[in-house]
Amino acid sequence: MLLLAYLIPGLIILALLPLRRYPLRSRSFLNLLTIAHAAIYLAVTFFILLNVSLPRYFFNERYLFIDLLGAYEVLIASIVFLLAALYARGYIQSLLRTREIDGRNLKLFYGSLNMLFMVIALAFYANNLALFWIFLELTTILSAVLIVTLNAKENILAALKYVFIASTAMLFSFIGIILMFAITQQALGAGTLNWSELMVQAKTLPASLFILAFMFMFTGFAAKAGIVPFHTWLPPAHAKAPSVISALLSAVLLNTGIYGILRLYAIAHRTSAIRPISFMLIAFGVVSMGVAAFSMLSRENIKKLVAFSSIEHMGLLVIGVGLGTPVALFWVLFHTLGHALIKSLLFFSAGIVHHQFASNKYYDMKNMLTLQPVASTGIIVGGAAIIGTPLFPLFFSKLFILVQLGELSMPLLFLVLLLLLIVAAAFAVFLVRACCRGGEGEPTPPYRVPWTMKAPIISLLVLIVMLGVFFPQPLNVLLNNIVAGLGF
Amino acid sequence: MIFVPYDLIRVLFVLVLCTAALMITQRSLSSLFSIYAAQSLLLAFIALALLWKTGIENLAFMAGLTILSKVIVIPYVLNKIQKDIYTKRDLEFSYLSPVSSILISAALVFVVYKSFSTFLVDLSRDKVFFLGAVMGVSLVLIGMLIIFSRKQMITKIVGYLTMENGVLLFSMFIAELPFIIEVLIILDLIILTLISAILAFGLDSSMKEFHRKLNPFTFWFKK
Repeated sequence: MLLLAYLIPGLIILALLPLRRYPLRSRSFLNLLTIAHAAIYLAVTFFILLNVSLPRYFFNERYLFIDLLGAYEVLIASIVFLLAALYARGYIQSLLRTREIDGRNLKLFYGSLNMLFMVIALAFYANNLALFWIFLELTTILSAVLIVTLNAKENILAALKYVFIASTAMLFSFIGIILMFAITQQALGAGTLNWSELMVQAKTLPASLFILAFMFMFTGFAAKAGIVPFHTWLPPAHAKAPSVISALLSAVLLNTGIYGILRLYAIAHRTSAIRPISFMLIAFGVVSMGVAAFSMLSRENIKKLVAFSSIEHMGLLVIGVGLGTPVALFWVLFHTLGHALIKSLLFFSAGIVHHQFASNKYYDMKNMLTLQPVASTGIIVGGAAIIGTPLFPLFFSKLFILVQLGELSMPLLFLVLLLLLIVAAAFAVFLVRACCRGGEGEPTPPYRVPWTMKAPIISLLVLIVMLGVFFPQPLNVLLNNIVAGLGF
Repeated sequence: MIFVPYDLIRVLFVLVLCTAALMITQRSLSSLFSIYAAQSLLLAFIALALLWKTGIENLAFMAGLTILSKVIVIPYVLNKIQKDIYTKRDLEFSYLSPVSSILISAALVFVVYKSFSTFLVDLSRDKVFFLGAVMGVSLVLIGMLIIFSRKQMITKIVGYLTMENGVLLFSMFIAELPFIIEVLIILDLIILTLISAILAFGLDSSMKEFHRKLNPFTFWFKK
């Protein structure tokens, strides 16, 4: 029943799409369906978290399940989905007006968007590693299609790069999955790929083979999460995609990779292979942060800047996972939520800026504060929040992950702090450049922002500030339960 | 007599390596697709030979699925796309010449063999199973080499498909996955090929034509 609530809305929309009757030809109706779809997800996820005893398994082989971690990730995704669906209403209208998107692609756009919602929810609810892999592949394909609905050749290149890098890396993941199956087959008699059973049986798995399988699987999940050196698809894909899709890519799709790594780590935690794996994760995390921080310094394009910042944050999350203490994991989970909200805010604001100036480069943004007060507020507050300024949610998560890192190694802590400072500097420089530019000659007419684009930005601003000054008790309980459920 | 399937499998391994080598050097696109189809057919034969030896029924389904999807459907789609693009050859090799590619791939097979002999021996029941796993991973790496060393998108797609064949080979000899998952993977592969082929088409045509292709319902009704 519960699972059907996630499947039915998407399938209904998919079935309706080929019809050519009146309401389905109108963009606003399609958008309304999408908003309803996301709203159902949010409602069902809240219901599950509040009223259902988890974990709950489906099918005889337990291929799918709903547990706290999965439901929490879906909750984050649903919030972003709902706001993105609302934002898309005004955003797509403006794209149609400037002919950046073709009217005939609308059905394809909305169809893929709704399918993407569904596939992401299924990925978080997949109990089986191979099934999880398949859903991740599908998210790659669907988001690639969403990227190329815009009328520009560069989008095709960005999408192809994304598809090739992500799925090539995911093939290595699949080798790891097969190895994992063989290892469990040898250790237990019958092979299994279910997260729940792997967690139980982890102690019996041989360490050296497990590390080999982990490394293979990590390759693919790291590519999905944008970890260096598998990150090269990320900046062009985020920069070229329509802003609403960039927000989904950064706030939700990257989480799928981190989620996979976190689950694998929870299994590794119970084997004797944990030390080298922790070491490897922290190393990848630091390198990702380093590459991202230095790439951010000289960015001219706001969406590229925010995209590199995603790489940096994924690096921090991988470090947090690699630390593997309950405190670190608690804040990793919290960071995922904060990061998703702030990244959506930044990309939504960047979308308005793009409509105003027909460009994402800072030197084209003249009189931004007076022309687009809402978007400028979004970018300034979002910029401050993403670097972890106090009073914003990421301050706490960064602080506590760094404290945990300091207990492991002081020099590493200073290195990461330095990188975070560079990132902060990059954001500050960009904000000063973008916001302090006056226009010469004729003033440009302001782009009238529809309320559907303002509302998500304002609600995100409220959410972020609230989450920064007030830590809700239910969230605290939930995160503690997830960490305990993962066996830490 | 009992050794016949294993010897047959060894011969088939050699043939698979030959197709991989041909792929690295082949310039004409349509023969590239034929080589891919032949390689997939060889994999189906290996699955059947393994079935003869081990009697695992899943392998029969796998052989059938492979023939249907990779010997018939995917090469057909690729040929259709290639006719639309009108490029007959992929002349450019970036970074590597064909000869050095072949040398590197030979080295890759050797490296995989060496490194796996420390890890995988205790996982496989027989020398042939170990060899199959090595062949699989080598084929994956050779596929990656094709992706890196070729410029044309459509050739890169064939490289990706070769990698996937390698994974299939690996899975045949290391573990039998549940059947439903095998089917889903094949479906996923077909969608992926379609999408990336259409994207590749988009690079060489106007945006208008590309979007007409991209719309899923028009794609199949053309011609």
